[in-house]
This record gives sequence, structure tokens and C-alpha cells, in this order.
Amino acid sequence: MPSLRDLQVDVLKAVLSAEDGRAARLVVARGIPAMRRLGIYANNARVNFHESLQASFPAVLRLVGEEYFHQCAREYQKRYPSTCGDLQYTGTRLPDYLAELHVNDEFRYLGDVARLEWLRQETLISADHRPLDFEKLAAIAPSEYAELRFRLHPSARLFDSEYPCWNIWQANVASDGEPEIIDLATGPDRLLLIRRTLQIEAHRLSHGERSFLIAVREGEGFERAVEDGVNCDSEFSAAAALQRFVLAGAIVDLE
Amino acid sequence: MSGKALSNSDRRSVPAGAGVGLRAPHHLIVMSEAPRVAWFEAHTENYFADGGPHVYAMEKIRANYPLSLHGVGLSLGSTDPLNREHLKKVSRAVKRFEPALVSEHVSWSSVGGKYANDLLPLPYTEEALRHVCGRIAEVQDVLGRQILVENVSSYLEFANSGMTEWEFVAGVAAESGCGILLDVNNIYVASCNHDFDPLHYLNAIAAQTVQEFHLAGHSRISIEGREVLIDTHSTRVCDAVWELYGSAVRRFGKVPTLIEWDTDIPALDVLLEEADKADAVGASVNAVAA
Repeated sequence: MPSLRDLQVDVLKAVLSAEDGRAARLVVARGIPAMRRLGIYANNARVNFHESLQASFPAVLRLVGEEYFHQCAREYQKRYPSTCGDLQYTGTRLPDYLAELHVNDEFRYLGDVARLEWLRQETLISADHRPLDFEKLAAIAPSEYAELRFRLHPSARLFDSEYPCWNIWQANVASDGEPEIIDLATGPDRLLLIRRTLQIEAHRLSHGERSFLIAVREGEGFERAVEDGVNCDSEFSAAAALQRFVLAGAIVDLE
Repeated sequence: MSGKALSNSDRRSVPAGAGVGLRAPHHLIVMSEAPRVAWFEAHTENYFADGGPHVYAMEKIRANYPLSLHGVGLSLGSTDPLNREHLKKVSRAVKRFEPALVSEHVSWSSVGGKYANDLLPLPYTEEALRHVCGRIAEVQDVLGRQILVENVSSYLEFANSGMTEWEFVAGVAAESGCGILLDVNNIYVASCNHDFDPLHYLNAIAAQTVQEFHLAGHSRISIEGREVLIDTHSTRVCDAVWELYGSAVRRFGKVPTLIEWDTDIPALDVLLEEADKADAVGASVNAVAA
């Protein structure tokens, strides 16, 4: 009699890769071959996995069509099977997987679109945070600004791509009609994604603003963050950036 | 339902009437129209997020309705170490939303760190019984409360099972001290797929252990000329399951009953109609008993 452990190892192999037949001897056939019975679970595992990917990557699905999406999902599931009981995380590695798969072909932007969709999902489930307390900012003496460390909203995510992914995403999920043709040369995209109340907002960033926000995210002081902004964008304005990101709800605290 | 916030004592119990499964497409209508329904049950994993729209909706809805949290991803029967990360998230959701009932399944879905994300049946052996009871004890310790465990639908039986499913489920409740969430549709599906009398199942379960019923619809497929029932939660409860539900209410009394619907989710009104039907079946059984 197999141990519970051995039984589970063999059954899961059969469920996740239907070609493994060792589990058949463990199952009572009763009018239906054991592998067909196991196949019902294999089908459930595949459908549940694919549906979770479809929910996380609607634009990718629309761009490549159902047949290719499911073909990719099957291969992706073989390489990266689910490793937790919460299906929301099955797509963690899909952006990199698609980017590797389409390095230099007609779908070379697909990995980036997938990454944008994944960041949207992260933005959607992040913790809430109150907006910045302006009195706290007003109480800081200008001489102390250099060392100030700002904190970003937990939902804030930075996205960049050489392709116009935001327009591609919008064209493919905002309407059911035929999506408009988007010229891949109309990138690059530099975006700040943030959840305000319950909606995701996307803000386009200059090169300097992006560098500034990366430094803030990494916990650098204000002076250093401003330097990073100016170093890659001579027109970067610290005052304008601070105002913009406080009003956008991206900067929520300081210390 | 008046839309008025529940008192603390109302939050601590789920009424014996029919509730419905809370799914994201219905968040808005439940928040805005506060439909007349006795309680809601939600999949715990759907509310693991740190914040955002689902958590917001749950907090609003929770203020007005009794709640049950029903897990599908803890893989209770797995021989892997209990997934502490997942359990931590369950524990956080329980603290955050204060459900009156917390439940999981008599099943497994992972081994070696890989998940099928489906509810796989266990072999009904003494080893599996001891193992599941130990895991339930761990979960109950961490959560600091009793949990209910649900019998699953199944499409296969293991050759090494030394007892019936109903002996196993009854044994789990007796030895672990957990309660039973009896899924009447799952019993029916299993009874058709494995040729047993579903009443034997009901009669084997100790009456006082059953604290909740589930009802759902299933589909039928044909494999090599033989019909197999699949627990799809995609349609109305069928007549045979309503009849079995009547038998369950006669045996176990009126306990909270949930209408589940997870695939091709219809308008909320359809779920409310099914809930009304469950209440009517429960009332007719009680009337006969009186």
C-alpha cells in the first residue's frame, strides 16, 4: 500500500503533466479508465490556471488570440506550475516568460504589455494609505528639505518600456470593437501607476521625474532624489515634481 | 435587509436561513441595494489583498450582513508542511472581517510545493485520517477557533481506501473536533460517480457536527459511454439535490445553507431565487416534522 506521500506525488504528476501514467495503478477504474478519471482533475487544474492568467492579462489575451494564449499558458504552466493556493499569483513570471519567447519578433512588445498588466494587478491589491498631511510638510524648515525622505503610496508602481504599451493596453481592453492600429515607434512609455480611491490612474513621466521617483522609492533623501532627476533631465524641476506627486497622491508621507 | 449596520451579536453568528456566495460581479449591487439575503459566504483567498476594491467592498458588505469565510487553497490534506504563509493570510482575513464561520475542505491540492489549485480527494485510510486531523488541529490552533471542513465532489476513488468517504468525514469531525460543512450537491455528485446511496452518507454523519450546508449545480459529461457528474457550480440546483437537501434538513435540522455559483455567474436575483427555494424546502421539512 503506498504511503499518503507517495500517492500524492504520483497523482500530482499525473494531474500536472497528463503523460505520467504511474498514478493509474492507484485509482479504481470502475467502468472508466483510471487515466481518464485523473484527466478530469488535469483538466480542472489547466482550466483554473488558464482562467487566472486570462483574468490577469486581458490585453495579452486580446493581442494574441485565445488559441495562442492557451498554447503559451500550457507551456508556461509546465515550466512554472502554481506554487501557492491563491491563483492570483500564477502570472508572476509570465511577463518575463513572454519577453524571452518573443525577443525580436512581431510580438517583441508582448512581455512589456504583460508587465504593465501585472503592475496594474499589484496596484489594485496594494494597501490603502491616507494622502500626505500637508501640515506635516509645512512644519518642515526649508533648511531640512535636503535630508527629507518621502514615502510613496503602497500602490505606486513605475513602468517603462520602449514601446507605447499604455496605448496598446487601452486599445485592447477599453472597448470590444476592432482595436486601433498603434505604431510601435510611438514609445517609449514611462509611467507612474497609482490607485486613488478604487481606480488605477496612470501618469506619464519625464525621464527626470522617473529617476526622481526611483530614488524616493529606494529611500534616498530629497536632495539626492532631485540630483538624480536633474542628472538625466536638465529641465527637471524639484518644486514642480513635488507638487505633482503630492497632488497625484503618490507621495503620502515623509520623515 | 434594511441596510442598517449589524450589532456585534448579529455579527457573531450566521442565521439558519439561506445565504449566497459573494462574488466580485455582485459587489456593487450588494453595496448599493442591500438585497434581502440572510448572510454571505466569500472565498477567503479572494480577500487576501492588502487593500483595494475587493477589500473595500468586503468591509462595506460585512457591516450589513453576517459572513462566513470559505477557503479553497490551504491544501489541508497535503503531506507538505502546512503552508504557513497562506495560513497567515487566512488568519489576517479572519481578524479583519470577523466571520462567524470559517471553513476549508477535506482534500489536498499540492505536494512538493506545486499546486493543482483543485480539490483532490484523499485516499480514505487511517494514515490520511490521522494526517488530516493533525493539520486541522494546527489550523484551529493558529486561528484560535473551530473550523468547519467540507466534503468534496470526486471523480475517482483510490484503490487503497480502507473506509468509505462518509466514515472518513465522520471520523475527521470526531477526532479533530472540527465541524462539518456538508455539501449536499457534492454528496450527490459522488454518489452518482461512485454508485452509492447518498442517504447512507447522511446517516453516517453525527447530527450535531453539521453546522452548514452547501448547495450548487453540477454538469454532466460522458466518458467512454459512462456519465460523470462534474461539480461546476455553473447552474441551478437540480431536483435530485433539492430532494437530498430535504433529507439532510430532516436529519440535521435547519443550519445555515449556502447557494454557491462560481462559473457563468448569473444576476444576483437568480441566486436569491435559489436561496428562497432553500428556505422554502427547509420550512416544508420543519412543517412536516412538527
